[in-house]
Amino acid sequence: MKAPANDPLIQIQELNVEYRTLRGAVRAVENVSFDLYANEVFGLAGESGCGKTTVANAITRLLKPPAYITGGRILFRDIDILQMSPEQLRNFRWDQLSIVFQSAMNALNPVLTIGNQIIDAMQAHQSISYEQARGHAKQLLRTVGIDVQRVDSYPHQLSGGMRQRAVIAIALALNPELIIMDEPTTALDVVVQKQILQEIKDLRDQFGFSILFITHDLSLLVEISDRIGIMYAGKLVEAGPSLEIFADPKHPYTDRLMNSFPTVHGPRRELLGIPGAPPDLIDPPAGCRFHPRCELAIDGECDKLIPPLIRIGGERDVACHLIKEAEVVS
Amino acid sequence: MNPSGNDKQPILEARNLSKEFHTGGAFTGGTVKAVQGASFKLYRGHVVALVGESGSGKSTIVRMLARLYDPTEGDILYEGENVLEQRGRRALLDYRSKVQMVFQDPFSSLNPVHRASHAVHRPLKIYDKARGRGALRQKLIELFELVSLTPADEFIEKYPHQLSGGQRQRIAIARALAAEPEVILADEPVSMLDVSIRLGILNLMADLREKQGIGFLYVTHDLASARYFSDEILVMYAGYIVEQATSEELISNPKHPYTQMLLAAVPDPSRGLKTEDADVQGEIPDLTDLGSGCPFAPRCKHVMDVCHEAMPGPTRLEDERWVRCYLYEEGVPVA
Repeated sequence: MKAPANDPLIQIQELNVEYRTLRGAVRAVENVSFDLYANEVFGLAGESGCGKTTVANAITRLLKPPAYITGGRILFRDIDILQMSPEQLRNFRWDQLSIVFQSAMNALNPVLTIGNQIIDAMQAHQSISYEQARGHAKQLLRTVGIDVQRVDSYPHQLSGGMRQRAVIAIALALNPELIIMDEPTTALDVVVQKQILQEIKDLRDQFGFSILFITHDLSLLVEISDRIGIMYAGKLVEAGPSLEIFADPKHPYTDRLMNSFPTVHGPRRELLGIPGAPPDLIDPPAGCRFHPRCELAIDGECDKLIPPLIRIGGERDVACHLIKEAEVVS
Repeated sequence: MNPSGNDKQPILEARNLSKEFHTGGAFTGGTVKAVQGASFKLYRGHVVALVGESGSGKSTIVRMLARLYDPTEGDILYEGENVLEQRGRRALLDYRSKVQMVFQDPFSSLNPVHRASHAVHRPLKIYDKARGRGALRQKLIELFELVSLTPADEFIEKYPHQLSGGQRQRIAIARALAAEPEVILADEPVSMLDVSIRLGILNLMADLREKQGIGFLYVTHDLASARYFSDEILVMYAGYIVEQATSEELISNPKHPYTQMLLAAVPDPSRGLKTEDADVQGEIPDLTDLGSGCPFAPRCKHVMDVCHEAMPGPTRLEDERWVRCYLYEEGVPVA
């Protein structure tokens, strides 16, 4: 675990996003702030609808109406991504940032060979000859563990796992500084998932890019990330080094989430889960958005006041009224 | 809840089930051997998990047991009677009321233009479980309460789009329960649900097995949930059941090299990613192009010459456990 002593690569500051629907505004992301450092894997976890993908789409500026960014800044080094001109944005994407989507396996163009899709990306952004690009494409395929012969294969000739690797190869083509991976292995089998995670980590060590890794699978996230952030109903409720959060979750939601999935490791134990369901964000609960499902909620406080995200020592941040008291005392 | 005694009759039994699918045209087509020689028993109040990766044949087994596919070979026995020999609509209807299914995707398994009550109403009528409006409604309310959709009289009026994934899956379970089944075949019932919701569904099914004595065949790709919910686990690979053991035995002491690989692939946050995990390699084979040997041989680190020649038969290691692997030849072949 490296201490992120360097300057942050990405700073998300007080980000707010809403979806304007016929029923009203869905406050999908509210006052979310976190930093992502160079050469770091930052994992963002949460259930569907918690806003994790919306955060990713805000960074990449892929949000389209009815989604609107209603506040906040996203700094890449010192440039606000949200203020970039179309030309700046075009260069920023690919050159500095690339994305691997969940259904990326199906995002490949079915009538182009894998090789040509990598070459396309390179030629669109660099002055590079076809032959050079092809040589580089082969190298990339080898890097992600695909046989070089496959450079002339079409997507349908590859298995799901290989297609996902090919997409990662395309993401790497322009040597970006940040790769956003949104559930990159969710559609894959565990064995293939393991191989690809391993590959991703090796590539990160080799090339030194940062990854924003998004998944609902907490155990997987803890395994791959240096630091993680837990989102609930549009808010970041906890962030910190992944192993510390895993060993000692502070926010009641994180704690219950950790107690919600069965494991094959260690003794079998009864699991409690979390009663209720995530709220409708058109009309989110007042105060802490988790309070209706929280056993520890304090009447008059948790249902009224929004808990701010506070630093509780080391690199840990938590947004919970209970923690404030406990930590100040100790 | 361990029916190890031979005196107890299985409620549902698969004997040597195989299924082949033909692909392509009359002359160019191949044969996909989706399931080969699958045998296992299900007991009342007992949960058997069928675990494997996509394409391993687990859903095909479920569909054969649900009588949606006819097996190419083998028999299905319900309370000792060969189901495949029974003819006629009546017999099929009887069987289906006893053996119900819950599907993976609660977002597509409910009709969007009908209220929640409709899905549960239909089996009540088809299997003639309640007559008259009052009795039907009474039964509906009972079933909704059974799956914890309360207040039931509100939930029965809702449309699928007004319900969350977990609530829809509860309706799918209520629909299955309406037929008063002895066995529920649950095909990945929680894999599309959120983590915090999954456990609720697993605990509901555990409750139904406990209180109603329903037997479950739980199909999943997730070893951890199989361990949590089931008494016994069958591991499938490329159409074969390669290992059977009680859940705890299988997790703590996996025998088949594939089971070992599968377990090594499950994320373990307490350990982090380690390089020795490089043992996890290769992908599942093309089922149209299986040789005669063990389909796992190309990925197996213990592979021997004999592995390429023929698929080993099941070898019994202990009372309740067997494995199909040449590494365990010293065991007793299963008759």
